[in-house]
Amino acid sequence: MEYPGTVAELTQCLRGGGYLADRGLATTLLVSLSLRRPVLLEGEVGVGKTEVAKVLAAVFGRKLIRLQCYEGISTSQALYEWDYARQMLQIRALSAAEATDERSVDQLFGPKFLLERPLLEAVRQGDRAVLLIDEVDRADDEFEAFLLEVLSDFQISIPELGTISADSSPVVILTSNRTRELHDALRRRCLYHWIGYPTAEREAEIVAVREPAASARLVGKVVAAVQRLRELDMAKPPGVAETIDWVRTLGVLGETELTPDAADDTLGAVVKDRDDLELVRDNLAEIIPGG
Amino acid sequence: MADPAAHDLDPAGQQTSDAFTGVLTGFARELRAAGLRIGTGDVLSYFAAMTPLDPTDLLDLYWAGRATLLSRHEDETVYDQVFRQYFLGEDAALRGQLLFSAESAAKAEAALSMPGTEPGPEQDEEQPVLGWMASDVDALKHRSFTACTPDELAALRRIMTRMRLTPPARRTRRTRSARTGTEPDLRATIRESMRMHGEPPGQLFFRRRKTKLRPLILILDVSGSMTAYSRHLLQFAHTAQHAAGRAAKGRVEVFCFGSRLTRITNELTHQRVDAALEEAARTVEDWEGGTRIGRSLDELVRKWGRGGLCRGGVVVICSDGLDRGDPEVLALAMERLARLCHRIVWLNPHKGDAPDFRPSTLGMMVAAPHIDLLLSGHDLASLEEFAGMLPALH
Repeated sequence: MEYPGTVAELTQCLRGGGYLADRGLATTLLVSLSLRRPVLLEGEVGVGKTEVAKVLAAVFGRKLIRLQCYEGISTSQALYEWDYARQMLQIRALSAAEATDERSVDQLFGPKFLLERPLLEAVRQGDRAVLLIDEVDRADDEFEAFLLEVLSDFQISIPELGTISADSSPVVILTSNRTRELHDALRRRCLYHWIGYPTAEREAEIVAVREPAASARLVGKVVAAVQRLRELDMAKPPGVAETIDWVRTLGVLGETELTPDAADDTLGAVVKDRDDLELVRDNLAEIIPGG
Repeated sequence: MADPAAHDLDPAGQQTSDAFTGVLTGFARELRAAGLRIGTGDVLSYFAAMTPLDPTDLLDLYWAGRATLLSRHEDETVYDQVFRQYFLGEDAALRGQLLFSAESAAKAEAALSMPGTEPGPEQDEEQPVLGWMASDVDALKHRSFTACTPDELAALRRIMTRMRLTPPARRTRRTRSARTGTEPDLRATIRESMRMHGEPPGQLFFRRRKTKLRPLILILDVSGSMTAYSRHLLQFAHTAQHAAGRAAKGRVEVFCFGSRLTRITNELTHQRVDAALEEAARTVEDWEGGTRIGRSLDELVRKWGRGGLCRGGVVVICSDGLDRGDPEVLALAMERLARLCHRIVWLNPHKGDAPDFRPSTLGMMVAAPHIDLLLSGHDLASLEEFAGMLPALH
């Protein structure tokens, strides 16, 4: 399926995939799709940054290639690696005459022995893929510098094989939770969008799309409670993912009403910090009124 | 209401691309004037971004600009202000050049006046000011460091620049090739094997974990009770930042606090000590005011700690522990800070040279359980002692 040409169409397509993008996000994505520039998504935890890439891939029939970043991630985990075990066997199998032959050496470092890792795979797939570079802030500076090279040209140089470049660049989504400040050079190569917490109406809409079985009344109450939670001075304020989790949890327990008792039992779905839990329990009456 | 003249004009005919270019570059110029860093490349991206979009739609102009010209969340408030002024401003010089559909202008107005889903930096800044007004002992003044005698400063600088601060190192997940190590380096081994025509190489190559210096976070008390020391401490912080060596470059963060917390890392990057101190003095607004250690540390943990700034680092707090805030807030903030960082060092000038110093202030007593190392830092000798102990804080 081709990527759409207008913001309205794109919003509609994403909605079809169960993702409600606001005007800002949809515009950024459309620009990214038409210019083929990577998008850097930042925002609070649990507001659907990763989900954007998943839905884009699902709706437009692209392959989702995910690169989860972590400290110490290196080119052999992100780009390519030679299949050393097979190479070693191959070397052992060569006769003395063959071993000195240039061609057998070339073969040894040929495509047959190359293990593709996410970035190389994305370059090879080109437009047939959506590349998600998740939590890029968790990787260290060295890796970020390396990413620059890949993201600006979409080509990868393998000394033994030569340069592999994409005939059409893939859609690239980077996400960051801001645990570390990213370098300006990386930011400059990307379109930037900040995803904040949605308004109450929008959040209710999102939850309704994600959990169609839940009653509108329950969803409304949960969303109102979560919105009040975010106003509290919490160490880890709940995201939209937590709201959806809470509704789901209540659904599993067969609760149709958000009473203070039911909320107290299921707080673990939204509040993930001990100090926060105490704070919320102390203010439960204000968060869930009419109990 | 739409401009009546708009009905007479055919948008496609009147809006030459030149006018459009002028408007967009003008907008970028305004943003630059407002302090945002925008390169020509960003402006080109902005133009490119408008190609698939509708140039007469203000919302498209707004969002495309935000995606291409901005690269950090903090700049959004400034962008909004400039955008409103430039495209929706009263002087409306632009409306003659560009025609926006009336409907989109109204929508843009609504989008811009809508309260953000998240408090912007502007609101963030207001809060401490309120807190400041509530504090009765605060004094808002800029304290000049140049007031201290040049001889004194020069002597201090000479001695301090010789000091080297090396935070302890930690092992990273990144590896390098080595003769000995924990994991075999297959790549290097195979290459060696190729060199030997397929024979197994005489030796295996290994990979070993690299080490990296831990971040160092200095938190300086500049409140009234610390007046005699804050000047030295700031100079010390400047030295720390510049003397930490190449390996630790960018890994030293400096904060000041009295009744509120101020990050002065960037101000202290100035090479010249005097200029850096002056710059820092201008930024810090509560010299010699009251002390709210608890609240300041709480702010550090919330605003910076959550972002990972002090994770795994060595936090050095320079304060006498005279806290005018709620001790419970301090206890909680210290506990959180202790969980986030690697080690907490407290430099308390009142400790002096007494080896059997017992914290007498309430703040110190509350904080004591979370402190890994308590030193004095009341003179240069003690700061040197601190510098000597720092690398050993594994």
